[in-house]
Amino acid sequence: MGGPFKRTGDRVLVMLAAPERAVLAQLLADVRTMLAAEGPDDAPAADDDPASAPAPARERDPLADLVGVDDDWLAAVTAGAGREEEPLDERPASERFEDPAVARLLPDANREDPKVSAEFRRLTEAGLRSRKRATLDRAGAALRRPDPVVLDADEAQALLKGLTDVRLVLAERLGLRTDQDAEMIHAVLSGMSDSEEPWVVMAGLYDELTWWQESLVRELPR
Amino acid sequence: MAPVELEQPEVEESLLLDSGWVTIVWNDPVNLMSYVSYVFQTYFGYPESKAKKLMLDVHEKGRAVVSKGGREEMERDTEAMHEFGLWATFQRDR
Repeated sequence: MGGPFKRTGDRVLVMLAAPERAVLAQLLADVRTMLAAEGPDDAPAADDDPASAPAPARERDPLADLVGVDDDWLAAVTAGAGREEEPLDERPASERFEDPAVARLLPDANREDPKVSAEFRRLTEAGLRSRKRATLDRAGAALRRPDPVVLDADEAQALLKGLTDVRLVLAERLGLRTDQDAEMIHAVLSGMSDSEEPWVVMAGLYDELTWWQESLVRELPR
Repeated sequence: MAPVELEQPEVEESLLLDSGWVTIVWNDPVNLMSYVSYVFQTYFGYPESKAKKLMLDVHEKGRAVVSKGGREEMERDTEAMHEFGLWATFQRDR
């Protein structure tokens, strides 16, 4: 069948050239940035970027020292408690996020009751963002290693999830809404693959990533 | 004769037997059929045949119930599907 990924034992060999891997790593990093930036509550999290400005100094709580909880935990609990008193933001993802691609990455979890959806989001969104960022980081770091790049099982699944998120974002930018739209891409490209129209270039990238993901998923154990 | 109005007692949700919820995955134009099957096999541990049937339901009918159980469990499954980039929701089973 071919394709740029090949399973060897419980690992996966990446046969993309270094410039292709660099492009993919950059796309993964771009999506990671999108997942960090949105939302009024989304100040850089403790796990986020070690290079970002340090949090303002807090006085250490002697009780916290005594029972051995750390500042991060305390901050998380305090932040959670603070949010509790704010009214629940019941807007759907489409209104909550300026960028529809972010709305697709962090979708509403209940279509019947905006309250249920909002409550779920309040409890889970920060964790989901942070796990997605960690996944994108893991995949990107693996791709930046020198040749030959061989992924372990965790890295391979991280890349598979990362490719999904990147394709979801590109599809949003391309305006793909239906299965027919997605099929149309292939037909359009076969007619004008040397065009430099931005839409066509992006569609070409999307098509290539689709092919890569198809190859990777085929090589992964179930 | 007028029927006796039985008032439905208000029961705390947490006191009820915790089941009767479902996780639904919706079709989208991006996720590959092979990938959706992969997710159903690896996350839910479904055999290939069941994963493939659910995937085809998503693709052809627009949606499929992929798990049933208590609300907390369905919330966990929904969150996991979001982590995989699938378009999932949870709701009461009807």
